[in-house]
Amino acid sequence: MEDKGLFGKILAIVPGLAVMIGTLYVLRVYVEPWMKDAVVFGRKGWLVQVLSLNYILLSILTGMFYRNILFGGKIPAWAEEGFRTTRLFIKTGVIMLGSLYTFDKLLKVGGIAITLIVAFVFGTAIFILWLGKRLDADRSVTATMAAACGVCGVSAAVATAPGVRAKPVDLALSIATILGFGIMTMFVSPFVGKMLALSDYQFGAWVGTGILNSGQVLATCLAFNPNFAPGTAVAYGEIWNVVRVICIPFVVFFITAWYWKGEADAEHVSLGSILASKFPIFVLGFVGMTALSSLHILGAEGSETLHLMRDVMAWVFGVGLVGLGAYIDVREIRAAGGKPLRIGLIAGATKYVLALIIILAFIPKEGAF
Amino acid sequence: MSDKKKSLTVFRSDRHEDVAAIIASALIVVVVLTYMAFIVPSVGIKAPQDGKLVEIFVAEGAEVKKGDPLYSLEVVKKKWVNNVMEEKVAVESFTAKANGKVLKVSGKPGDAVKKGKQAIVVMEHEKGTLP
Repeated sequence: MEDKGLFGKILAIVPGLAVMIGTLYVLRVYVEPWMKDAVVFGRKGWLVQVLSLNYILLSILTGMFYRNILFGGKIPAWAEEGFRTTRLFIKTGVIMLGSLYTFDKLLKVGGIAITLIVAFVFGTAIFILWLGKRLDADRSVTATMAAACGVCGVSAAVATAPGVRAKPVDLALSIATILGFGIMTMFVSPFVGKMLALSDYQFGAWVGTGILNSGQVLATCLAFNPNFAPGTAVAYGEIWNVVRVICIPFVVFFITAWYWKGEADAEHVSLGSILASKFPIFVLGFVGMTALSSLHILGAEGSETLHLMRDVMAWVFGVGLVGLGAYIDVREIRAAGGKPLRIGLIAGATKYVLALIIILAFIPKEGAF
Repeated sequence: MSDKKKSLTVFRSDRHEDVAAIIASALIVVVVLTYMAFIVPSVGIKAPQDGKLVEIFVAEGAEVKKGDPLYSLEVVKKKWVNNVMEEKVAVESFTAKANGKVLKVSGKPGDAVKKGKQAIVVMEHEKGTLP
């Protein structure tokens, strides 16, 4: 790619970004209100209430439609740069979610979140390393899948791949498998949550533990309860999500160390260097936002200022989720097969179900805030 | 990954993207706070949830201080208690979040209000405060 200069780079982002923002505008302003009033099976708002089809899930579905049907499987060159701002929007939204908490609220649930996440993240990684050995899978594939299923679908897999000498195809299959699993759970979880009468606290804790992608955790929580406010599913789910994201460098270190232990030409890996290069520093922005909220700098709870802030947050996430949908390539998921798929599905499903059982057994319905 | 086409970010690295996200969120906060504190001339205070207006404590033209009650609403409060969803009808008062002057009062006791729909009280707030 030729060097376009800063202005050229910004210009290249515009077309794809305009598609993402325009799509969200149409979904929020026209489609969702229409769906809230539409009568299906004799019930007004059936599409939203029963299918949980709010603008969040619609954003992802529309993104998927663009990529897989309209664009024929590949984001066209004119839109590519714009769609690559997807993670910027999701990370910005996650940072802004810090405004839903104060430090005392975080402390109330932080201990439970840390215990559950650490147990599940390392439990899943160890389970996959064992399962990979049993299924006689390639060690690079097993290591990449352990990172993908253990802590975070995309970020951890990408971070681990070079250290364990994974081939690009292994990495792509790991990501496709875990994103495919995430899409299924995104649509199934709100039904299960409502069927089991889970509270926002339980649902957030379950989804934050069982789903492995920041965008998908948010989308699933908002499908269950579309409100951005303290005490809602998204407020609880995000605490779990942030703890999970913080675990990424530790898991990358653990898996990389496991990989090199079994190789003849062992390389030395240090936790310090992995922390320095892989720590997701946007989490510091989340903490900063919580600090502003704790100091009441962002306006009082219930104020129109906070209301506007949360509305902007919803738009930021919405744009990111259109992009997230456009990164889901159905052909790649279909192509995922063999041992990576088996390992991913067994581990993903086990984690998802086990997390639900533990939440039902140990997490009360009353939220901590 | 040297193949830039495969990269998921427009930035040089994930680190750069993280920093950009922090800057973007800080900018959003600054813009929203500045807009609300200095630019917006008045704000319509809407019901935070569905309910029935019980009382309006202020009249048009009245000066209010932060924390003064503006109106009260009869709402259905839902809360999980001992793993059971408890629903009870309660009357809640809503207060001014900043000093200011009441420009308009819409509605009267007994009116049904919908969450986030119509403004019950329109207020002009002191510049530099967050309504």
